[in-house]
Amino acid sequence: MSRPLRICVPLGALLRDSLECLTAAGVDVSCLSDVGRKLVVTGDDGTLFITTRPSDVPTYVEAGAADIGIVGKDVLRERQPDVYELVDLGFGACRMIYATVDGIDPTAAAISHRGAVRVATKYTAVAARYFLATGRPADIVKVNGSVELAPLVGLADGIVDLVATGRTLLENGLVEREHIFGSSARLIANRVSHKLHADAIDALVARSSVSAP
Amino acid sequence: MSEADLDLELDAPAVMLPAGARDVLPAEADALRGVEADLRATMDSFGYREVITPVLELAEVMDRAEEGGLGRSFRLFDDHGRVMVLRPDLTIPVARLVATRLAAHPGPIRVRYTGRRFRPSPVGRPEPVEERQAGFELVGASGPEADAEVVAVLVHALRRAGLDDVRVSIGDVELCREVLEALEVPMDARRVLAAALAGRNLVAWRRAVSGLDLPLAASTLLAELPSLRGGTEVLDRIREVAPNASGSCDWLERAFALAEAHGVRTALNLDFGVLRDWSYYSGAVFEAYVEGESMPLAVGGRYDGLGERFGRARTAVGVAIALGPLHRAIAARRGADTPLRFGVVLCGGLDTELALATTIRATGTPVIGAASDAEQLAAEDGWRFVATPTPAGIELLDRDSGTRHSASDLMSALAKARA
Repeated sequence: MSRPLRICVPLGALLRDSLECLTAAGVDVSCLSDVGRKLVVTGDDGTLFITTRPSDVPTYVEAGAADIGIVGKDVLRERQPDVYELVDLGFGACRMIYATVDGIDPTAAAISHRGAVRVATKYTAVAARYFLATGRPADIVKVNGSVELAPLVGLADGIVDLVATGRTLLENGLVEREHIFGSSARLIANRVSHKLHADAIDALVARSSVSAP
Repeated sequence: MSEADLDLELDAPAVMLPAGARDVLPAEADALRGVEADLRATMDSFGYREVITPVLELAEVMDRAEEGGLGRSFRLFDDHGRVMVLRPDLTIPVARLVATRLAAHPGPIRVRYTGRRFRPSPVGRPEPVEERQAGFELVGASGPEADAEVVAVLVHALRRAGLDDVRVSIGDVELCREVLEALEVPMDARRVLAAALAGRNLVAWRRAVSGLDLPLAASTLLAELPSLRGGTEVLDRIREVAPNASGSCDWLERAFALAEAHGVRTALNLDFGVLRDWSYYSGAVFEAYVEGESMPLAVGGRYDGLGERFGRARTAVGVAIALGPLHRAIAARRGADTPLRFGVVLCGGLDTELALATTIRATGTPVIGAASDAEQLAAEDGWRFVATPTPAGIELLDRDSGTRHSASDLMSALAKARA
C-alpha cells in the first residue's frame, strides 16, 4: 500500500524556497541539487521528484501523476484544479493586482465610452472573474509574457498581473490601481493520494505547517 | 510546419466526435460488461433489483433536487417549449422513481441501476461527457444498519471485481453541522467554511476558523476537523469538545461495528475532509479509492431529504460507481494481456459448413465463419481456435498452445483441445 511519494516541484522563482521547505519538512531533496536537464529524478529513499513549470503543477497533481505539489496561489486561482489545498507555505509572497498607466485611471472612461475596459493578462480566468465580480465589463486579452508592455503601446487599458515588489510596474510607468488577492506558495495534494497516502502526507503537512509562518 | 501539414490541419477529418465523447470498441466493451456483471452479482446477492430511468428528464424535476440548479448539464426543449435535461446524475432520477412510482411500497426498497450520465466537460479538461455508472440505493431503512449495508455492498462489489486494495473514506455532513452548531459558529461564517470545504481548501478553512471567537479547545478541534482521520478513536475527540454531536458519533461508531461484521471494516476509515459536492446529502458520505486512479471510483452517502422533494419523505443511502475509471483500474492490475476467447473461426466459407456451425453454437461455443484468412481473423479478434476442414475430417489449431489437433469432426477436435 505504502510507496514513496511523488512530489511535483515548480521550476523558476519558487524552486529554491520549495526545496528548502521540503528539506525542513524532512524530505531528502539532495538528488535535485544537480539535475541538469533531467525532469524526473528519484531520491535514495525512492521519493520521485517531478519538476515542471509552475502553471503545470496542478495539472500533474490533479491527474494523479504526482501525489503532492508546491504551487503559487495565483496558479490555483487561475486553474481551479480539483485538489486539496493543504498548507500555506508562506514563501513566494506576491499579489495579484490591476494596474494601468500613471495619471488618470483610464478604466471608467473606457467603460463609459467604449462599453468595456481592455485588460491584458496571463491570468485570463482570474481577470474575467474579477471584473465580473466588480460589475465592470472587460475584454480580456491573453498575452504570454511582458504584460507591462500592453498598456504602453495601446493593446490594453490595463493589466492584471502578479507582482512581488512592483518595480517592473514602476519602471514602465504603470501604477497599481486595485489589489485583487495576495498569493503565496501552497502545498496541494491529489484527492486520492491524500486518502491512500494519508500517513506520509499528514506527517509532511505537520512538519511544513510548523515551518510556515 | 510544411505546407502539407497545414493542409492536413485545415482538412480536419469529417467524422469527428464532440469534445469529451468517445467510442467503446469490442475488447473494452467485453471487459466493461464483465465488470458490470461482477458488480451486479454482488448487488443481487443483497437483493437489489434493477430499475431503468429515462435519459431525458424534465429540468424542473431535476432542479427540485438541488437548489441553485444542476450546474453543468445539457438542456434541450421539447415541442411544447418545456426544458429537458440529459440526466447529469443518476441518483436524482432514481430518487424520483422511488418517491413516485414506488410510493406505496412499504420499504425498505433496494434498487440498483446501470446507466449513463451526461455533463459538458469543462474547458481544457479531459473529463468524459458521458459517464457510465452503476449504483444502488437503499430507501426506507433507518439507522446505521443502512449505511453499513451500502458500504458493505460497495466494498464487496469492488473486491469481487478485482480490487482487493480498495479503500473507503467516510465523512459525515450532519456531524460537521452539529459541531458548528455546538460551537455556536455564526451562519455567515458557516457559509465561508462550507465554501472552503467544497473547494477542498484547508488553508481557507483554518483561516476562517482563526477569525472566529472560540475557546482554545473548540478552535483547535474546528481547525483540525477536515484533517481528522483514522479509526473510530477520532470520534472521542469530537465528543469531548462538542458533546451535542455525540449522536452522530454513536451512529458512525455503530456503522463501523456493523461493517466489521460485514467483513469490510479493514477497507474503511473515517475522514472528515470527505464531502460530497451536492447539497442533498444529509449524513454519512463516502468515497472509494484505489491506487493509480486520480479521482474517487465511487461516491455516495445518506440523503434523507431527497425523497420529500418528490413527495415521499424516506430515509435513503446510495452510491454511484464510475464504471470507466473502475474498468481502467482493473485493467491496470490485470495487465494488457487479454486471454484468448473460447471460440472457433471455421475456415471454408459459410454455406458448406452452416449445419456444422449451428451444432457447435448450440453447445455455447461461438463459431465464426471465414471464407479465407481464417487465422488472420482469429488473431485480430482474439479467438482461440481455427478449424480447417480436411479430406480426413477437421484440423483444429489451438492458438493458445500452438498445437494442432486432427479429428474426424469438429466436436471431437474441440473435446481433444479441451482435454
